[in-house]
Amino acid sequence: MIAFPNPVDPGFRSSWSSDLKPAEMFRLENGLTLIYQFLASPVVAVDVWVSAGAAVDPLQQAGMAHFLEHLIFKGTEKTLPGVFDRLVEGCGGATNASTAYDYAHFYITMAATQLEAVLPIFADLLLNAAIPEAEFEPERQVVLEELRQAHDDPDWVGFQALVEQVYAQDVEHPYCRPILGTEAQLLTQSPEHLRQFHRSHYRPEHLTVVVAGGVGRDRALALLNQHFGAPAPMPSTPRPLAPIPRPPDPATSLPPAPRRQLLHLPNLEQPRLMLAWPGPSNEQPEAGAGLDLLAAVLTEGRLSRLVKTLREERRWVSDVDCDYSSDRLGGLFTLTAWLEAEYLDPVEAFIREQILALQQTPVAPSELHRVQIQLMREFAFSLETPGDFAELYGYAHTVADLATAFDYPSLIERCTPADLQRLAQTYLSPEQSCVTVLCPEG
Amino acid sequence: MSQSQSPHTADLPSDLPDIRSPHRRVLDNGIVLLVTPNLTADIVAARLFMRSGSAWEQESNAGLLNLMASLLTKGTARFSSMEIAEQVESVGAGLGTDAAMDYLLLSLKTVTADFAPLLALASEILRSPTFPPAEIELERQLTLQSIRAQKEQPLSLAFDALRRSLYGDHPYGLSSLGTEASVNRLTQADLQACHAQHFRPDNLVISIAGRIDPDRAQAQVEAAFGDWRAPAQPLPQLSLPAVTTQPSVVQQAQQTHQAIIMLGHLAPSVHDPHYAAMKLLNTYLGNGMSSRLFVELREKQGLAYEVSTFFPTRLHSAPFGAYMGTAPENAVRAKAGLCHEVQRLGEVRLSDEELEATRNKLLGQYILGKQTNSQIAQIYGWYETLNLGIDFDERFQAQVQTVTPEAIQATAQEYFQTPHLSFVGPAETLAKLA
Repeated sequence: MIAFPNPVDPGFRSSWSSDLKPAEMFRLENGLTLIYQFLASPVVAVDVWVSAGAAVDPLQQAGMAHFLEHLIFKGTEKTLPGVFDRLVEGCGGATNASTAYDYAHFYITMAATQLEAVLPIFADLLLNAAIPEAEFEPERQVVLEELRQAHDDPDWVGFQALVEQVYAQDVEHPYCRPILGTEAQLLTQSPEHLRQFHRSHYRPEHLTVVVAGGVGRDRALALLNQHFGAPAPMPSTPRPLAPIPRPPDPATSLPPAPRRQLLHLPNLEQPRLMLAWPGPSNEQPEAGAGLDLLAAVLTEGRLSRLVKTLREERRWVSDVDCDYSSDRLGGLFTLTAWLEAEYLDPVEAFIREQILALQQTPVAPSELHRVQIQLMREFAFSLETPGDFAELYGYAHTVADLATAFDYPSLIERCTPADLQRLAQTYLSPEQSCVTVLCPEG
Repeated sequence: MSQSQSPHTADLPSDLPDIRSPHRRVLDNGIVLLVTPNLTADIVAARLFMRSGSAWEQESNAGLLNLMASLLTKGTARFSSMEIAEQVESVGAGLGTDAAMDYLLLSLKTVTADFAPLLALASEILRSPTFPPAEIELERQLTLQSIRAQKEQPLSLAFDALRRSLYGDHPYGLSSLGTEASVNRLTQADLQACHAQHFRPDNLVISIAGRIDPDRAQAQVEAAFGDWRAPAQPLPQLSLPAVTTQPSVVQQAQQTHQAIIMLGHLAPSVHDPHYAAMKLLNTYLGNGMSSRLFVELREKQGLAYEVSTFFPTRLHSAPFGAYMGTAPENAVRAKAGLCHEVQRLGEVRLSDEELEATRNKLLGQYILGKQTNSQIAQIYGWYETLNLGIDFDERFQAQVQTVTPEAIQATAQEYFQTPHLSFVGPAETLAKLA
């Protein structure tokens, strides 16, 4: 086992007590990464990250990474389906999983005393998933139900349409496809396809196991080494990656024509105006922090520019929300307003004026200071439980670098009005924007 | 996997020394103050409970407490809406208000250094709201939008109808948002009268958790609220009519991809001796991936992605519900399966192993639900508000340990009689379910 020399130090930026020891990172001989953090708590969180999300779904096989996330819980040669769920929940713990573009992760929160009982089975599921024939078809039906439920949610339908619109210039971009997949493509997938996908991607060198909570270091490391340390079952071959196109980073690519679409949905009570701009990938965290601040200037709290004017003063929208999210192959700056159809045009015009103002005039220092405090506090408030720490570390290591886990507040703090103006000019140009409008049918 | 554990599950975190027990004090003006020191993070969370909630409403003024909650932060004797926002947002604090059935809540989250000034603001908000007419009109419009937005969600549509079927005219049958008609009727005078009646120090519970010393917290609360005096008239007492509804089937046609199947029963209040047994039934049926409904209807039959149950903790008879979303072509099978699984618990006795696993799950998740300062402040303040006392935290866990399989079956027999049913889905699917 290799211990990395520079553990991540939460230092003064964390709101945790000053005796919080830094997280430590190790690599097992089989290539698996371990991250360990002691926290004074009766609870332990174990969070396993796999750097294989929907972005590596094979072409014409959208939804495979997410489907596999479901099938992981269906047992191995040694562990029958349902045994793990009963074990974890029967000792008072909770477990779940989720899949994003760049990763899937599987997590347990439980009494620290249960680690010995639960960890062997958890490792077995992840490393040796059998994907039994008898379990495959019922679980496919479950995923299709998940998809149907999403299709009954207008905000999901709208967001999915908006994302596809942003990446429309490059239909092979992995983020163009829904993480849940499509019914037609899910129906073509077989147990053997899924097993191949598992063998290629769920290998020690692609896994990060985070343990955070009330477990001593030696005990945690010994257990992890014992249960996650076996050599990979097959010689490592390069895993088949989906073709990775250039992210449509507008800082480096030519602007496409503005795009606009109108969708009519049944059961819609209030129209939505949704705008999106492609942004930088998470390889540029400084730009990401700045775009988070721009989003906050626009819609974080009652003093933010759009909430104050559009909801509180003019009363043209019932809500407005702006968000920046970034992944390995690109980011997305989105803005959604919930409003009546008669206000669609004036609201869009006002939003565009405000974006233009951000490009032309630096944000006042006092306004910047307010949103900086808001985002820094939000970060501090999001770190209270072992599960919160495990997720922060696993995410940081999987999409970027563990050493950056606590960088966010200082990135926020360092942004200047000139930075925000430059980012608005670079990323929020009218030519780059996509617009999706949702209206009721009929 | 063989697991040999003692019947009292010595391994559960509940048995670890609980360093986070609340200090309870009653101030001179009647405010009950609970402080739970928790040094782990530089965060203080507070929950301020006014012991009057939407249950005080009737059909004609439904939505009053919710509108009250949204207007509290929109103008006080000393501050305008924007000045209040300035004080909160300039320090990155969280401050929100919310109306529940049994109480009205003000939630606060700050770093320790910012707590005292924000507590003073909370006092101003609770004691001196002015309900500016322009803000009433804005919040009224936003509430009407929220009522409409509920219709976009098949689950909330189904739940709304189930609740009405279960409770009829009883206030628990009303949405806390109110109806379009009732919200349009609410006036500034209604808000002022409601405030005068319910907002008084002897109706207030303040629960604080985080990096703060109990004496210091008390000094800060006294500085902010100490000069508030209760009026001479006695506290208002709510007496609610008994619920006398009959089971019914409610169908709402919508062009959806999934049909929603929901069943419900009237279930015990938190003061009822059957409460712990019903919590166990709820956990057994619908909580987590090892729950009966999840295993039988999702894992074995692939009928649903979401299949679950609910049984909230309430001062009066609470709703129990079980629901799932399923492909329209499976709706008939799903309904039969859901009804069968709930009815079955009156007919069979849980094995000792099933009960033990359910106990551990319920108690373990109960403990996991008390990790953050907000969760800790919420649970103790809530118990105090419901007149259970903060030791209900321990009493409840002890009750769960002593419920027998026979008591669980008897509770199911008593409460799971003919179900109330609520369906949402395409008209042709509903026709087959009738």
